[in-house]
Amino acid sequence: MFSEAAKKELQEIRLRYPNARAALLPALYVAQREFGWLSPDAYETVSDLLGVPKAIARGVGTFYAMYKHKPAGRNIVQLCTNVSCMILGAERLVDFLKNKYGLEPGGTTQDERFSLVIMECIGACGTAPAMLVNDDFYENLTENYIEEILQRYK
Amino acid sequence: MIKVTINGKEINLEKAMTVLEAARSAGIKIPTLCYHEQLEKYGGCRLCLVEVERMPRLQTACTLMVTDGMVVRTETEAIANVRRSVLEFLLINHPLDCPYCDKAGECELQDLVEKYGPATSRFKESKRKVTESLEDPVLVRNMERCIVCTRCVRMCEGVQGAAAIAVIDRGGHSHIEPFSGGKFDCEYCGNCVSVCPVGAIMSRLHRHSYRPWQLVSETETICPYCGVGCTLVVQVRDDVIKRVVPRIGTAVNNGLLCSRGRFGYEFVGHKDRLTAPLIKKDGVFEEATWEEAIRLIARRLGEIKDTFGGSSIAGIASPRCTNEDNYVFQKFMRVTLGSNNIDSTARTGYAGAQAFIENIFGQGATANLIPGLSNSDAVVVAGGDPTAMNPILGLQIRACARKGGNILTIGHIKGLRHYTPVELRPSLFSEDILLEGILSALKDKKGLPGSNQILEGKIKDINLSSAEVTRVCGISEKDFALFIDKLSGASNAAVVIGKEVVQSSGGSYRLLLLAAITYLINGRVYLLSERANEQGLLDMGCAPDLLPGYRPLGYAEFRKKYEIAWKSPLPEQPGLTIFEMIEAAKSGLLKAMYIMGENPVFNMPNSKEVEAALKKVDFLIVQDIFLTESARLADVVLPALSWSEKNGTYTNMERRIQRLRKAVTREGMEDWRIVLEIARNMGSKMNYEDSENVFFEISRVSPLHRDLGYEEIEKGTAIYPYKGEPLRSLTEEIRTEKGGSIESAGKLYLRLERPLFHSGTLSRKSQALVNIYAGAVARISPGTAGRLSLKDGDIIRISSGIGSLDLPLAVEKAVEDSVLMLTNNFEGRGAFSLMEYSIDPVTKAPVIDGNVVTVEKVGR
Repeated sequence: MFSEAAKKELQEIRLRYPNARAALLPALYVAQREFGWLSPDAYETVSDLLGVPKAIARGVGTFYAMYKHKPAGRNIVQLCTNVSCMILGAERLVDFLKNKYGLEPGGTTQDERFSLVIMECIGACGTAPAMLVNDDFYENLTENYIEEILQRYK
Repeated sequence: MIKVTINGKEINLEKAMTVLEAARSAGIKIPTLCYHEQLEKYGGCRLCLVEVERMPRLQTACTLMVTDGMVVRTETEAIANVRRSVLEFLLINHPLDCPYCDKAGECELQDLVEKYGPATSRFKESKRKVTESLEDPVLVRNMERCIVCTRCVRMCEGVQGAAAIAVIDRGGHSHIEPFSGGKFDCEYCGNCVSVCPVGAIMSRLHRHSYRPWQLVSETETICPYCGVGCTLVVQVRDDVIKRVVPRIGTAVNNGLLCSRGRFGYEFVGHKDRLTAPLIKKDGVFEEATWEEAIRLIARRLGEIKDTFGGSSIAGIASPRCTNEDNYVFQKFMRVTLGSNNIDSTARTGYAGAQAFIENIFGQGATANLIPGLSNSDAVVVAGGDPTAMNPILGLQIRACARKGGNILTIGHIKGLRHYTPVELRPSLFSEDILLEGILSALKDKKGLPGSNQILEGKIKDINLSSAEVTRVCGISEKDFALFIDKLSGASNAAVVIGKEVVQSSGGSYRLLLLAAITYLINGRVYLLSERANEQGLLDMGCAPDLLPGYRPLGYAEFRKKYEIAWKSPLPEQPGLTIFEMIEAAKSGLLKAMYIMGENPVFNMPNSKEVEAALKKVDFLIVQDIFLTESARLADVVLPALSWSEKNGTYTNMERRIQRLRKAVTREGMEDWRIVLEIARNMGSKMNYEDSENVFFEISRVSPLHRDLGYEEIEKGTAIYPYKGEPLRSLTEEIRTEKGGSIESAGKLYLRLERPLFHSGTLSRKSQALVNIYAGAVARISPGTAGRLSLKDGDIIRISSGIGSLDLPLAVEKAVEDSVLMLTNNFEGRGAFSLMEYSIDPVTKAPVIDGNVVTVEKVGR
């Protein structure tokens, strides 16, 4: 279930749009934040609160790659493996994450602390390799640096 | 006038339309896949691309509107190339499993590829693999075959209004899925199956058991389930119904069906069907010949009539039987047996409500066209969910909402919950107060029109402030004000009245309030009807106080006409209603009873008492297609032909007479023919060759049906008031009876669930419907569950004053607090076995809303 604060947020979102369907994207984003991913329950909750049929809500949600449809860890690591990052060793970093943390691309650590998403270019080619952890940006990555960064996220 | 040239042919058009429609109107075919005439335009498949002069690229004919002077070419080499490419792309992932795809032979993709090629594919990679989903009881989803034309999605959302399926994922991964990903868990109308151009969504019934080209006959007939009267096309092979499909352009349902209509036909060839007459000897049924059975009946009825008089015999007619069956039945009862004791389960609501409304507004007041609902600007719904009871009528209400009309519901109506700007959910037993409040507010806002003095006399006495109403009913003042605002602004309103209004304490008073509201907003009344021929049987005179043509028996001048027509004196005293029959049987006054196509032991409240009463009848005849609960008590059981095995007519709730046709052959007799045989054995001179012959007599005898024949009925022009005369207004004093005040706190009330998937005792013999909704479930609200410390899935014992049942419990938000919902569809587990009733003195309908039950958990 949604927290009261999230419910209130949803109502405010709803008022910004001419109809309930238009409010779906931000509403689903709130749901993803609250539930961690868009579970069937999350869709049903949003559907009930907005009065949009649940199948429609799911149809909209599954169109977008940045809504998650399986449980994810508490922190999302998004690592770039595009050309510049790859040349500068991003693939080694992928192996490092796998060996050190058991973190596979698209997977989640057993303690649900991290999920890894391989992403396309984040515009940091000059300072590659680069990654995002949640909304924080990191560049010039090395194995040691990654280890140090990840310690900050519990 | 718009002039368009298509393929060199000049076309003059009266009104604007798309290029595709213009071409079709001139007989020029343009291939399409995503286009469907019932659906919103989409322009997705790119097959209808055409060349338009002075336009740079090929254009989609299905979305492009014609302009004056437009020059279009639909078949050029460039277009053929494009179509071939589009099809080549579609076939990349299409499995080409036509040899075992049920759609082959009527597949639009197959036909198009056959016409436009490509014969070979350049695609060497492997195709998308998706396992066929058989998780659903009635629908098969094969996403390898899907071409994502979204017809099903547009049908489900934009027409059916269920929005149960959507396009999931994107790009090459796009596919159609219900919310659960497996089971559809929807309204199961199957309209997605109708519009799917390929074999992606198909019916599971008779899967892989026929090819479309092997269906040897197609018969257009009328649905046997509810009073809407949808046209069905029954497709048959080897005398087995293989499929029921709708047809675009028919009067009531225009290409749409509901779950019962589409999937509920399997009762016809069911293995439990009765095959021979049964005579009970020493408490055991023995098969008998028709001759034996009919002779026995004729002899016994004759003896009873001679000894105790005609009034000791009663007959129950059937709202599932045709007009012809019912006409012959009542004539037999009145003329041969001399009894006016004829009634039906229409008495449980429809008959009384209609009589009440017609007394105020005149005969035919409820004969309003169903498709007209969608053009209303406001629809008030009270007394039940039209999308469950009369689904196709419910669709018109949803269509009304989509066109901008306001759907105003009294109580929570699940099927309309996404369509209503405001629903007023009065607390239990305060519906009367709410209606009084709405009436008072409308009166203040709009004043009295002054055209019906009797009704206005009643309206003047009702004054209730909105503050009082909202306090008593527990609704917000804002919602109430919005409701009144939307309703009073309507200029073309409709009021839809369900059975629950009539079956509540003070039902007649509630009807008066609804009639008065209708009067103030100058609206039209729609009376929901649960059975296919409820209206028809009343029109045929299957009521204790009505003669055919809806003529009151109480007037000597009417009676005289029938005595001349039938060459026989008629009993003068009005007969017993179905409930009075039960009383009379209990007290031993009824000596014989003839039940045609009805199962009172199950379909009437307090079923145990009905059973006990029928057991006391000396001679009981039950004529049916199954050995029902009632048939088991009979002395003689007569097997009848069922729907789709006989010809005849039904009259739907809008009083449209429609033609029922024989689609499969079975040995046996129609209901009317059996009755006729009995009558002739008792010395009657009645004789009819076929059902048309019976109708010919009806059209001669009944002033309402004067000069009406099968020809007009088949042409679709048999719409009320036909060519005959409706009865001139005979407004009598409006009598009502208010309900007593009922204390609901802390109690649990048993109410009747009227589900979409079942209807009486017929649907439980249709396997597909049973697969969707398999057994009786008790439903309560989360609030009530909390109060009683019960959980979803518990097994509970429900006890009332007259019995108890153990049932699984479901906790559902749509249920009102302090109410337990239970259907009356499953053998031995019907709500009516726990319900007692009293009779509303005005409508003569049973009042069943005050049944208190207690529950206890007995397991999990």
